[in-house]
Amino acid sequence: MRGADYVIKRVAFAVITVFIALVLNFALFRLAPGSAVTNLSRVPHATPETKHAIAKQFGLDKSKGEQFVIYLKQLARGNLGISFENSQPVSKNLRTALSNTLPMVGLGTLFAIVFGTLTGVIAAWRRGTTTEHVTIATALGFYAMPTHWLALMLVIIFAGVFPSGGMVDDFLIDPTWFQHLKDVLYHMTLPASTLALVLYGEYTLIVRSAMLETLGEDYILTARAKGLKPRAIVRKHALRNALLPITTLIAISLGYIVAGSILVETVFSWPGIGRAVYQAVLQRDYPMLQGAFLVLVLSVVFFNLVADLLYFKLDPRIAE
Amino acid sequence: MSSLLELEELNVWFDLPRGGTLHAVQGVSLTLDRGERLGLVGESGSGKSTTVLGLLGLLPPTATLSGRVLLNGVDILAGGEETVRPHRWVDLAIVFQGAMNALNPVQTVSSQIVEALELHGLATGRQAKARVGELLESVGIPRDRGDRFPHEFSGGMRQRAAIAMALACNPSVLVADEPTTALDVMVQAQILELLDALCRDFGLALLLVTHDLPVVAQLCDRAGVMYAGEIVEQGPVEELFHDPRHPYTRLLFAATPDLYGEGVPVSIPGTPPRLDRTLAGCPFQTRCDRSFSRCKDERPLLREVAAGRSAACHLNDVPAEVA
Amino acid sequence: MSLLLQEPGLLAGDRPARSRTGLLWDVIKNQPSATIGAVILGIFIVLAVLAPVIAPYGLHEQVGPVYGHPSWAHPLGLDDGGIDMVTLLMWGARISLVVGFAATFVSMVIGGTVGLASGYFGGRTDTVLMRITDYFLAIPDVPLMIVVAAIWGPSLFHIIVVIGVLLWTGTARVVRAQVMSVRERAYVKRARSLGAGNLRIILRHVLPQIAPILIASTVLTIAVAIFDETALAFLGLGDPSRISLGKVIENAFQRTAISSGAWWAIVPPGAAVALLILSCSMIGRAMEDALNPRLRVSHLSAKGFRLRPLVGRGRDAV
Repeated sequence: MRGADYVIKRVAFAVITVFIALVLNFALFRLAPGSAVTNLSRVPHATPETKHAIAKQFGLDKSKGEQFVIYLKQLARGNLGISFENSQPVSKNLRTALSNTLPMVGLGTLFAIVFGTLTGVIAAWRRGTTTEHVTIATALGFYAMPTHWLALMLVIIFAGVFPSGGMVDDFLIDPTWFQHLKDVLYHMTLPASTLALVLYGEYTLIVRSAMLETLGEDYILTARAKGLKPRAIVRKHALRNALLPITTLIAISLGYIVAGSILVETVFSWPGIGRAVYQAVLQRDYPMLQGAFLVLVLSVVFFNLVADLLYFKLDPRIAE
Repeated sequence: MSSLLELEELNVWFDLPRGGTLHAVQGVSLTLDRGERLGLVGESGSGKSTTVLGLLGLLPPTATLSGRVLLNGVDILAGGEETVRPHRWVDLAIVFQGAMNALNPVQTVSSQIVEALELHGLATGRQAKARVGELLESVGIPRDRGDRFPHEFSGGMRQRAAIAMALACNPSVLVADEPTTALDVMVQAQILELLDALCRDFGLALLLVTHDLPVVAQLCDRAGVMYAGEIVEQGPVEELFHDPRHPYTRLLFAATPDLYGEGVPVSIPGTPPRLDRTLAGCPFQTRCDRSFSRCKDERPLLREVAAGRSAACHLNDVPAEVA
Repeated sequence: MSLLLQEPGLLAGDRPARSRTGLLWDVIKNQPSATIGAVILGIFIVLAVLAPVIAPYGLHEQVGPVYGHPSWAHPLGLDDGGIDMVTLLMWGARISLVVGFAATFVSMVIGGTVGLASGYFGGRTDTVLMRITDYFLAIPDVPLMIVVAAIWGPSLFHIIVVIGVLLWTGTARVVRAQVMSVRERAYVKRARSLGAGNLRIILRHVLPQIAPILIASTVLTIAVAIFDETALAFLGLGDPSRISLGKVIENAFQRTAISSGAWWAIVPPGAAVALLILSCSMIGRAMEDALNPRLRVSHLSAKGFRLRPLVGRGRDAV
């Protein structure tokens, strides 16, 4: 199979990164001084039996090395401990949180990619004109705005028009599936828009850069010499080639997406992973923090791998 | 009888980033008849590539053009991009330097040739694929290789593919811009032979741009020597070599290393003049070994010095006096 | 052939002279975006440094009601403690800038060293260091910062170290690339063959050459560091004993500024942060552009070449 080693290399890299993340996770939370952080069984409001059970499960009395192995074993079983805050299994909390985050972040990112690409192409296309300068200035402007501040601004501006907190209307009794969907989308508008605006700025700059690079390539001149019209050239040659650096750079923005979602969910009280992190920090809910951190890192590694494989698919030159 | 292709006082200016313009091509005129082969020689920066790109209208927005480009007597440059574009590839095709990635790396070679065929309405679908096979074979590439990507081809083969693509729409003029530069010597020879054969078999006129004199000697009937944006001498290649009428031509031939010859290649001291300001006098004057007083003040015009030959040098006016 | 379509200025041989250490100043002077950025940044720095002296009111001095409206005396209104917003912004900028610069300094030292070692020594050192860099890059910054700050405890020092230790990767890569190209230059090889020691070569030849790109990378990192500090403060992980711009925003958020309609407690501090990030980005980008000029002209754009009627002959055509 073409490029089998490339694929294997990238997967291996992802696996090793995950392992490093696990070690890091363990090290940060279990090797910290004092037992405030390390003692997983310190679940408030839990019965002594529960506390004892947790201590046994995670081998909190054993050596650190053994604890690490147990940690991995429990992880494989999906056991991430019990949340200090709601006394529920961390994994259950995280699952709900993740399923709330993905649609919101996904929507925002999608819009950002679509509009960012559009404006990026326009900016490259109209290089040297006022349109380009305005486009870049706007993109830089949005890129420079701190995500949480932009979120607050949107709340101020759209107060009353869109809900500024939560994912559902608590007063909506027994909604139909459709009503529920509408309700959720309604609540999703502002948080997703915030994320979209912040990312849009960065993507415009990325796409413009990639397009300019591509438009300077020799085969573009060949296409022009063949008699193709400019729009056709952009569509058939430039865009397709620009997808390569664009994929790479969007993958790099994953970290930014994660940071953004944490901040956005905090402002809008959106019950997702980002807010889980915030709550965990606020309430010193270390098991939750540890679990959420892991989920975030795993997501980033996963999507990076997806981007690597996508790149591989798009570029026939990768064979070794 | 009008020529197939005629350039009349072609000028190209480039806007400079800090203001002002660079006069890259200064009033270039040349003619090309059916089946004729004209070489355009000069150092890098002499404006030869810019000239041929200009005649095809392939210059960036920072360029300003003036002059006429007559294809079968019709000025195709008159309406800018819109009047030039219809003639691209079907009348005037171009092959670029070998080292460039003139072929789109993410598309197969044959799909790029098919694109040319379909764009100009010459063939579609299976017909197109068959035609592509023919073209590839005519340049010495096995048919089935067409479905590979450019990076899977060697430099020489890529160049052949580019030539095949250029011939796809049966143009009457083939422009070759440094087609053998950056290729191995062996491969160079092959490509030149290929060009020779193809032009002969298909009756193509060839406009060959190169800094490499032996290439011109091998392929071309006539040549134009460019310096600092203008043509300083034109004529049949043989006569240019044996009886140059411009010091630059003479020095250019002398500077070419001759493998078996006795002569020591003499390089031309100095550098070409800056093209962002207007010059007084002859542009070659500072490097010329035979310049005299008139050269500093008066610019020599390109004038006929013999049948079918022209040169821009005061030495041709002055009888024996300063020989 | 694409060589011929270089910016024609280069063809004519007029490469602008540029002193190695003067690049930053050059860029700021000549590029309008960098000039604007530098001016904005300069104003902030001046205001921040002189805050104790020129702040209109005391930092902890209540001069009016909770969320007092903007007025002539208080152009940006008051926060929930009745403290003047303008004063808060000036003092806040101090801490934000301190964290930004300090964290960037840390990351510059680490990144510069790693890049230098990697690029200069090559071989195994390079492979190992680059692997480490890759793994650092693969882990998302902000979650890690949050976790470390949450566990280690919020203090200015901790924040600076945490941010600095996670931002060096970009600098490392960029420095490494530059060092690798410098290493191959004639005068370095000559110095080597003359027996100059590695340290000497690095200090005298390599360092000056990488200084410009290092500065460009540093400036861009400052923007990120300021953002990160704001984010951490917003999540409650900032140093509780100090006021940074991020903390001002967090306070407003926590203390119901929005529902009180006190937009002035939120908009100005965030706008200040945005301006800081913007100015650093503009300077950094302009420097990067200057160091890696786009030699190739785009072959395609909306406008085409221009046509002029012919006037005059040959060289004299106009």
